[in-house]
Amino acid sequence: MNFLHHIFAFNEDSPLLFTQFYFWAFFALVFAVFALILEWPMTNHQSAISNRRLHLRNVYLLFVSWFFYYKTSGLFLLILAFVTISDWLIAGRIVKSSDSRVKRFLLCLSVTIDLGLLAYFKYAYFFTNMINDLFGTGFRVFDIFAYVGNGFANAGRFSVDTIVLPVGISFYIFQVISYTADVFRGRIRPVKNILDFGFYVSFFPQLVAGPIVRAEEFIPQLYKPYRLSRRWFGVAVFWILNGLAKKIIMSDYLAVNLIDRVFDNPLLFSGFENLFALFAYSLQVYADFSGYTDIAIGIAMLMGFYLPMNFNSPYKSQSPQEFWRRWHMSLGRWLKTYLYIPLGGNRRIGFGTYFWWSLIAFVSAALTGWWWILIPFGVFICIVAVVNSSPLRERLGVGSLKLLYSNLNSFITQVLGGLWHGASWNFIIWGGINGIGMIVEKIWREMNWHWRFACMTLLTAGLCVADYLTNMPVWRLFAVWAAIIWVVTAVRYIYFLCEGAENKFTQAMGSAWAIAQTFTFITFTRLFFRSSSNLDPATANKVAWETAKNMVNQIGGAWNNAIIPDFLWNYRWVVAMFIAGMVIHWLPTSWKRRYRLWFSAMPLWLMVGAVAVAIIVIYQFVSAEMQPFIYFQF
Amino acid sequence: MRPYRVFLFVLACLGVLAVLCVVLPHEIVIGERTLRWPTLAEVFGTEEAYTRPLTEVEEENITIPDTLPSPDTIPSLPEKPEERLVIPKVKVDSTSDSRIYLSAFYASLAEAGARTVRVMHYGDSQIEEDRMTQQIRQILQDRYGGRGAGLMPLAQTIPSLTVRQELWMSGRRVNPAQGPRRYMVHSFKRDQRADGLYGPMGQMVYMADSLVKGSEEIMAVCTPLDGRAHYTRWQVFADDSIDYTFAGDTVYLRGKGAVYGLSQESSTGIIVDNIPLRGCLGTVFTKMDNNQLQRFYREQRVRLIIMQFGGNAIPSNRNPGTIGAIVSGLRDQVRYLQHCAPEASILFIGPSDMLTQTDGEWQTYPMVPYMDKLLRKMALEEGIAYFSLYRWMGGAGSMVRWQEVGLAGSDGVHFTRAGARKAGNAVANWILEGIDQAQSAATTQL
Repeated sequence: MNFLHHIFAFNEDSPLLFTQFYFWAFFALVFAVFALILEWPMTNHQSAISNRRLHLRNVYLLFVSWFFYYKTSGLFLLILAFVTISDWLIAGRIVKSSDSRVKRFLLCLSVTIDLGLLAYFKYAYFFTNMINDLFGTGFRVFDIFAYVGNGFANAGRFSVDTIVLPVGISFYIFQVISYTADVFRGRIRPVKNILDFGFYVSFFPQLVAGPIVRAEEFIPQLYKPYRLSRRWFGVAVFWILNGLAKKIIMSDYLAVNLIDRVFDNPLLFSGFENLFALFAYSLQVYADFSGYTDIAIGIAMLMGFYLPMNFNSPYKSQSPQEFWRRWHMSLGRWLKTYLYIPLGGNRRIGFGTYFWWSLIAFVSAALTGWWWILIPFGVFICIVAVVNSSPLRERLGVGSLKLLYSNLNSFITQVLGGLWHGASWNFIIWGGINGIGMIVEKIWREMNWHWRFACMTLLTAGLCVADYLTNMPVWRLFAVWAAIIWVVTAVRYIYFLCEGAENKFTQAMGSAWAIAQTFTFITFTRLFFRSSSNLDPATANKVAWETAKNMVNQIGGAWNNAIIPDFLWNYRWVVAMFIAGMVIHWLPTSWKRRYRLWFSAMPLWLMVGAVAVAIIVIYQFVSAEMQPFIYFQF
Repeated sequence: MRPYRVFLFVLACLGVLAVLCVVLPHEIVIGERTLRWPTLAEVFGTEEAYTRPLTEVEEENITIPDTLPSPDTIPSLPEKPEERLVIPKVKVDSTSDSRIYLSAFYASLAEAGARTVRVMHYGDSQIEEDRMTQQIRQILQDRYGGRGAGLMPLAQTIPSLTVRQELWMSGRRVNPAQGPRRYMVHSFKRDQRADGLYGPMGQMVYMADSLVKGSEEIMAVCTPLDGRAHYTRWQVFADDSIDYTFAGDTVYLRGKGAVYGLSQESSTGIIVDNIPLRGCLGTVFTKMDNNQLQRFYREQRVRLIIMQFGGNAIPSNRNPGTIGAIVSGLRDQVRYLQHCAPEASILFIGPSDMLTQTDGEWQTYPMVPYMDKLLRKMALEEGIAYFSLYRWMGGAGSMVRWQEVGLAGSDGVHFTRAGARKAGNAVANWILEGIDQAQSAATTQL
């Protein structure tokens, strides 16, 4: 009874998670009925049967998904239902209307409702905090939904002083926006049945953590019969095991045994330990997120639905731009389609670009108190506006301005993408640093070797001087980093002067170097990525900033070579897991494809055995005792 | 693949795993590793682990009693055979209050209006950054006067919440960890001194033995970060061969010799020193020169020594015998400090609740309750006060709740700053309550 109660009753402390046994028991029950629907013999006309089966399957999975969401978020299911109904109705009106202004108005209405809800639940604290900081006010959040809810239920049942974030709201809001926008653009036909649309919005494997499935990718699948080849079945099982291993072995084990304790208290650890934890955190974030989506993809596949790939070995990227094409790909595609391109992409800049840049500059100035930054910003925007003016643009040619347009719009996309990840300044800073990284890399790529060497020499010299004069860890860190890049740049520059062109070996070395640099850069941005989401933005910012500052101070100042062997030995399991994770990550794609296909071709009885062995191994990491605290520095 | 075949596959996997739960042993020990596999009862949630976290999740702000719970609320020891221990009976009435052993400190507070009364808070990483101590200082100074952050090392390698320190050598700012040569009683052998002359903080720096060559002058800028940390006088504890001068928040030191610490303080009231000894079991005081300690404690009118140790013994020890030996070592330290500071009271603060993961669940380390009981017994036998952080937090599993409300870090061992403030408040209020009780008892007798 306890077990059944656990499965069916809502308990906010025990949501259905892919990594728990309860989920798989739930899934087995769901799949039993699912198989029954698809296999039950019927005697009527074949196509009518097929359509009825599909409809029944979709409705069944809709209610299963809603139950899953109820288990995860309780009454926030109503918000999910609301956006489903709202977007379905508005999209329907858009199609029926022949007036383009009405269509546009309806689209704006839909986006306003969707983003309004997202802003309310996700960014209420952030905006309140920002207003209080800017104007010295003392506003506090007030949950209007809780207030209304108290009117219906027992007064005081819901707290009006806190706004709880519904699980997965960032994902499903983006999905419904994509649907309405695609209908508006005529890229898809509207879904006739609201239950089918509800199924698209709330399909449970990807509901809480993505991937973000665009309407045009998923809705056609609603009307296709169940199809799963033997090979794809094996691949689905592989994705599920792969995801579980990533999540539990690579992510949770590393987090519990090293990363969490270092990020919680960087000053307890030496510079080397901090640096190692930072790199390990990069792997952890990837393994955690991609592991979850791997499982989602595998589960969906078992039910005959194909979700888009969300991660493609992102740490193999040779540039920040490539990284964002391989990392959280469904979000990247969404941002590109619905934000970057509407802003103008690399073809133009318009009101949106100026608006967002001005807003970013103003808010940055107001919150830092450095109002002077508005002057260089104003000058910059004026130059951009002049360059973008018609006579000059025609003289220069749109082609030569592509880099400028692309950089301006992609920076905005990165900053807003950062804000999507979390409602606090550290995520915006994180997005901004990524945007800057992409711009710098694009400019670097455009330079010839003479310029590259000259710029790197100047930068390194400047940072070394700053380090010498201030002796501050942050400058030391940057100086060492720049010096390493300078040495490699110098070697490559000399080679270029002597040989002129690269051969296969130097190209391979260049690629390895680019991967290492991109990985290091992305890892550095992670300093600002980690923030406890259960804190209000003010505290989250403070904690994130303190953590980043202390880690930089340790890495740049409290480096202690003497303790490195001790650390590596005592944390050998953690180190081994990190190395194994990176090695697997960097395996050639063809190898990965090969072992995936090899697994999928196994006889079923052997696959059952493989699943059992994998679960036994994974469980060892769940049940392993924690690495005890060891201090190497006093 | 037909859906029913997929379903049968899922069922087969769950079935095989269920059979394994029945067939496989729960634990297999291979060398230093233990392989585990759950039982069916564990999988279906019908079997509770022996120290489950408390099930009642309280509201965001945990209501924690300011007074110690009565002894009958002490969590009982685990029922596992190897841990079924016989705890010797304590020859003190179970209702007795160990604050009676703070009477010397309480009596000395009468002098606080005219001179200083010093409190030295030694502890492990739980008090780093002036955590906990800051609150104790604030509450005691609010009531009895006194200002300043107290003692600090010349090379402050771990930043403090109370004082920001910059170190300059030969006109260049240096990282404290890379600046003057430091010797610490609780560090590696290479950083220890044979003569035991570490000073009262258990650490010292030796000038002119610096990593920055040719540097015999050090400038330390120590800026109070907290309004309450503003001080009225400096003290420098150093060899006679060291010359020093002050200018505002800056102290200039010149010469060759040992510097044991700097102190920002007032000339009257309570001075509370924060002395964190990272990773230390607390068994290092006997390595410190007794003459030096005696002189310091006497001249600086140290009237209360707080020892906060025990936590570092927990993670790596599952054997009650080892815990007993460590407590025995701590008893020696208490006696040594009583010998060095006969006029001071001693308060021992035991370890907090500490968590580890077993079978994926956060649980209290098995030895925490035992360590707490042994320390309490030792304290009462040695005539010192004892504050049980573990019991005050709520006993086994309480750290889980502290984590949930942001009072403890995700490592399950350390408090966050908010948690440390709460714990510091509790300790200080517990001390003050003792004064109030002593005063009301005296009034009643009159």
